[in-house]
Amino acid sequence: MKKTRAEKAGMIINGLLLLLITFITIYPFWHVLMYSISNSQAASSGGLFFIPRELDLLGYRMVLKQPQLYIAYWNTIARTGVGTLISVILTAMLAYPLSLPRLRGRRFLCIAIFFTMLFNGGMIPTYILINDLHMIDTFWALVLPNAMTAYNLFIMRNYFQSIPASLEESARIDGANPITILFRIVIPISTPTLAAVGMFYGVTNWNAYLDGVLYINSNSLQILQVYLRNLFSSAGSGAVLSGVQGISETSKVTEETLKMVTISISVIPILVIYPYIQKYYTTGITTGAVKG
Amino acid sequence: MSMQVKKVKPLDIPKKGGFLSYVKSEYMLYLLMVPGLLYFIIFKYIPMYGVSIAFQNYNIFNPENSTWIGFDNFSKLISQVGFQRALYNNIIISIQKLIIGFPIPIILSLMINEINSRYYKKFVQTSVILPNFVSWVVINGLMFALFSPSMGGIREIANIIGYAGDLPNLLTDKDSFQAVIVWSHVWKNAGMGTIVYLAALMGIDGQLYEAAVMDGAGRWRQLIHITLPCLKSTIIVLLMFRVGEVMYAGFDQIFAITNPMVNSVADIIDTFVYRVGLENKQFALATAAGLFQSVIGLMLVLITNAIAKKTDPESSMI
Repeated sequence: MKKTRAEKAGMIINGLLLLLITFITIYPFWHVLMYSISNSQAASSGGLFFIPRELDLLGYRMVLKQPQLYIAYWNTIARTGVGTLISVILTAMLAYPLSLPRLRGRRFLCIAIFFTMLFNGGMIPTYILINDLHMIDTFWALVLPNAMTAYNLFIMRNYFQSIPASLEESARIDGANPITILFRIVIPISTPTLAAVGMFYGVTNWNAYLDGVLYINSNSLQILQVYLRNLFSSAGSGAVLSGVQGISETSKVTEETLKMVTISISVIPILVIYPYIQKYYTTGITTGAVKG
Repeated sequence: MSMQVKKVKPLDIPKKGGFLSYVKSEYMLYLLMVPGLLYFIIFKYIPMYGVSIAFQNYNIFNPENSTWIGFDNFSKLISQVGFQRALYNNIIISIQKLIIGFPIPIILSLMINEINSRYYKKFVQTSVILPNFVSWVVINGLMFALFSPSMGGIREIANIIGYAGDLPNLLTDKDSFQAVIVWSHVWKNAGMGTIVYLAALMGIDGQLYEAAVMDGAGRWRQLIHITLPCLKSTIIVLLMFRVGEVMYAGFDQIFAITNPMVNSVADIIDTFVYRVGLENKQFALATAAGLFQSVIGLMLVLITNAIAKKTDPESSMI
């Protein structure tokens, strides 16, 4: 196919515009990373950071001595691991029967579950429920209240529906019960969708902070996002920073550097992992057509 | 052989017997659903019943002593200046997010679709979806790093475009804060929408374009007559979702990036509910505000769905 000159020019402009957009999405992360490894004094004048100014890891040395950071990090890892596992298993167990046309009451159940996407009790009734269940200030308040979403359930159900019925039937003839069929046949052949749904739950868990604010009071259960939020709120940053500066060698490191270091420490795992999980994520979205 | 076929048949035709005998024969399927259904009943349906306290004179310390007071909480709410302001901000912010945030993923996906190099395409796609993977708390930190007038990157950008005057602090300035909310929302979420549209673009039959080229259609005509009509269903579905969300202006986001200086322009229904309910312990009033929000939200979804069903039956959600 031959291209006119106008088309060629259009392609170049398009490519450059997209380069600019890419820069706008990536640069903020790069900026923070470069700032965090720069010398505090050299960085304090601000501006753009394409390379570190006088490489200096003192900020990291100080922040990494903070015991509360490790507690918060661990709580986030724990809730993400436990939460995602529970969520995926619960979702698969409910999605499988709902994918079978022979299940009676299927339509009613699907509509009832779909309705939770359209209407919810809201913050206060949910808070009262968590309180009545004695889950305030427990690990389970981070895991159970948002363990499942109707959206993820329907993604999984839609995928299970696309599995040929003959596969399941032959297992039934061999005398397998539905529980065996789900765990031995359906789940093993659905790994891409399971992975996608797992990623959705995992990323949501890692990034969630409202539950950490609403339901958790004690420092021993604080999650990373709440730790970060306190660092940047006018009321909380003093407390967090004085914790760091208490152990500091001198005040050679500025508040800003400590903040940039802490953000970097919390996003580096995501920056490393996301290019790999991104493709599962994409399959998840594209199979996610919801029909009630 | 024929014996086996007979054995298989009853499996896929539900027995005509009563419901109980059916449940008995398929109890394992129901057993599998028990934990999941319990989840939806406990964590979704019980709070829905819990909204009944919006019609009560709810007593926090002794809920049994609450009395029914009808719509009193709602009339109290509507007359409250704080709620009126929250409702106004909520709608203004949502509409800005809709008008600015909705078309951008469509445009981005069309632009990415025009790239010829596979690697560059992949690179752009991977980049634009990155902000989707971080939390609003982190984005708040990133914005602090860029927009802080003293140490932020904004100083140098101002120098580049030749501005030497005083820089406003965009994050604490009432005049700019709604723009910060809207554009940071676009920055975080545009990539996700772009991926959805790109998937839809990938599904378009290449023969349509070949035929159009035969007929002498240029790039622009191809876009108007093939690409956009093929995206129509996806656009309507996503638009419907977004219109249904107008009552939800983004609690996650605003709760993370707000500060006392900008309260008058950034207070939305959810932050109002949080403040009145969990900080001031006025549970009934806060629940009434939340119920007001979700009932209107539900109505919006039903109305947009009905409209979508009329214009394009394939794209209705329900």
